[in-house]
Amino acid sequence: MTKINRRSLLKSTASVGGMALAGSVLGTPLIAQSRSLKVGSYGGYFEDSFKSFVYPAFTEATGITVESVTQPNSTDWLVTMQQATRAGNVPADISLYSRDSLIKASRIGGLLAPLDASQMKATENLDGYFRFEDSSGLIGVGAMSWFTSMVVNTDYVDTPPESWADFWNSEQYEASLGISKLYNSHFLDIVAATFFDGQETFATNDGIVALVEKARELKPNTALWWSAESQMEQSIKNGDVIGGMYYHDVSQLMAAEGFPILSHFPKEGNPQDYGSWCLSAISDKAAEAQEFINFSSDPATQALMSRQIGTAPLVDRSKTDLTEEEFAAVSGTPSIQPAYEAYLDNETFIKETWDTMLGTS
Amino acid sequence: MSAIEDTSALPAEAPTRRLPSPRMLILWALIVTFCVVPFGLVLAISFGQKIEGAAWEWAFTGENYLRFFVGADWPESRTTLYLNRLWYSIYYAVIAALIAVLTAFPFAYLLTRLSRRAQSRWLVFLLATMSLSEVFIVMGWDILLSNRSGLPMVLRETGVTAWLKDVGWFAQLREWGLANPRDVKFKTSMVATVLTMSYLVWPYAVILLYPALSRLDQSTVEAARTMGAGPWTVMRTVVLPTVRLPLVGTVFLLFVFLLGTYVSVTVFADPSQQTLAISVYEAVRGSTLNAPFGAAQAVILLITGALCLWLGRTLVARTGTPA
Repeated sequence: MTKINRRSLLKSTASVGGMALAGSVLGTPLIAQSRSLKVGSYGGYFEDSFKSFVYPAFTEATGITVESVTQPNSTDWLVTMQQATRAGNVPADISLYSRDSLIKASRIGGLLAPLDASQMKATENLDGYFRFEDSSGLIGVGAMSWFTSMVVNTDYVDTPPESWADFWNSEQYEASLGISKLYNSHFLDIVAATFFDGQETFATNDGIVALVEKARELKPNTALWWSAESQMEQSIKNGDVIGGMYYHDVSQLMAAEGFPILSHFPKEGNPQDYGSWCLSAISDKAAEAQEFINFSSDPATQALMSRQIGTAPLVDRSKTDLTEEEFAAVSGTPSIQPAYEAYLDNETFIKETWDTMLGTS
Repeated sequence: MSAIEDTSALPAEAPTRRLPSPRMLILWALIVTFCVVPFGLVLAISFGQKIEGAAWEWAFTGENYLRFFVGADWPESRTTLYLNRLWYSIYYAVIAALIAVLTAFPFAYLLTRLSRRAQSRWLVFLLATMSLSEVFIVMGWDILLSNRSGLPMVLRETGVTAWLKDVGWFAQLREWGLANPRDVKFKTSMVATVLTMSYLVWPYAVILLYPALSRLDQSTVEAARTMGAGPWTVMRTVVLPTVRLPLVGTVFLLFVFLLGTYVSVTVFADPSQQTLAISVYEAVRGSTLNAPFGAAQAVILLITGALCLWLGRTLVARTGTPA
């Protein structure tokens, strides 16, 4: 039984190697004997980076090949997976969900399979916040995170504000800021952290109204309420706006290209969002999935993602080999944790109160 | 054999009259598949029920329609948000359609006075510009109105901005939201929104007006001129009455086309002046996954559009009869 047939060994390694190439580059179907896993991630630059850097490293380490599956985003993907689960055939074993989609999936029920933490020792590197458990057990493990930060155009603003509150000063910022138009893009979390009691303020309708009214005071200073990333990118590059909120990672890339943009952590901090790996309830690849999540939680993999994809690591910098400079490029402190539960429990009220504030004069 | 031939020959006429021809059947199948079924689905979804914190489920509730008029929190509070958006949908569509037709009309009229060769060149050019998508056109105007690359830059570099500041008109522009403390700005503004929307449909206006204007009998114009009418009088009493119907028809068509404009409005309109099209998209594709409310808004937009057309037609018919 222990005798290894050289030919079969060669054959299997060759097929694994070939499969890795085919799986990562072309996404072709895999042969049943080899160990494989279908992993979803947000399409575009993000997924491409995963296919080029993360999946090949995983295959090399474990021999499990990865077939990359394109997710448009979290919310749409949740609907797709919900329908696919009902139909009994899911397009991905592991999906990448934002925390609010993860909670939504947990509430809908029957979509995610609990994971066995004892098989994923490396997940202990992650803060408990990033290991999401519901009544069925551990159903989501953090993959990577990103910040929405305060940005300024350094051609117009010499020193970035100490506090988000400075943006409310019309003397300096009249009709000059770019803020996200979407109710759940965490601007309300910034308002809560700056002027109120943080997440607690979201607990009541009165609290939400107070947050939105505070945001209303920023209307004269906001030249652009952006809904697409590209709008804000163009506007801050062009000086149509001289500051506002934008993604930390993209700002850093723009700054690296020579644009006068500074991504800054004021004293209240910036909202931190993160994605989680979740196993489909009807996947039969639990063992492979756990190996993948274990690999992803390894500080070396977290550092690899930070360098190649620009995401913030979910483990302490001291555990990784990231230099201070590399770390600053993708992360910062303090971090504002969004009131995810409130955004779900009270989504219609928050959205309509916010939209009414913006949509009526 | 002959008996069979006889029987098949005789009733041959009758079934063809009773059964629709295959061509008609295909046509009806297409209409049902691509118009009736999707619309029926939208209508059915609009009565669905939103589940807070999750997605939605099939149901039969009028809540989504009620929410449109008073908001979800009614009777605790009331919002006119969606009525406001409906108003802007109609407002933009009417203004932009009128601007497009008013400016395209003189152009199309002069175009018909050109040589055949020049006319066909212009028409081919206009048809070609129609292939530009809305996204493309908005991107272009976005650059033309940007602070560093567009009109604000031109005004700054030519000293107009400084002059506006000197004479004090700049403060007025700031009041209107058309300037920040440093420069004039057009993003976001109603000017930019309406401008882009009328630009979007302008080629359509010319192409739609061209046939009527080119069929215009020039001898009537010449007759009026020889009887001493000035060019403006000729335009008012001869040309305009002749092409009144195509003119009104073009406005209606562009109005309907513009009701659903999405990209121009998201990019150039302030959230307080955005339209129902944006609201529908946010409900259906946004993170709330509230397709039923999106569908209800779409149905209301459709009904309002139809009402506007009916109203417009009635008004035209009424003013038309005495003339």
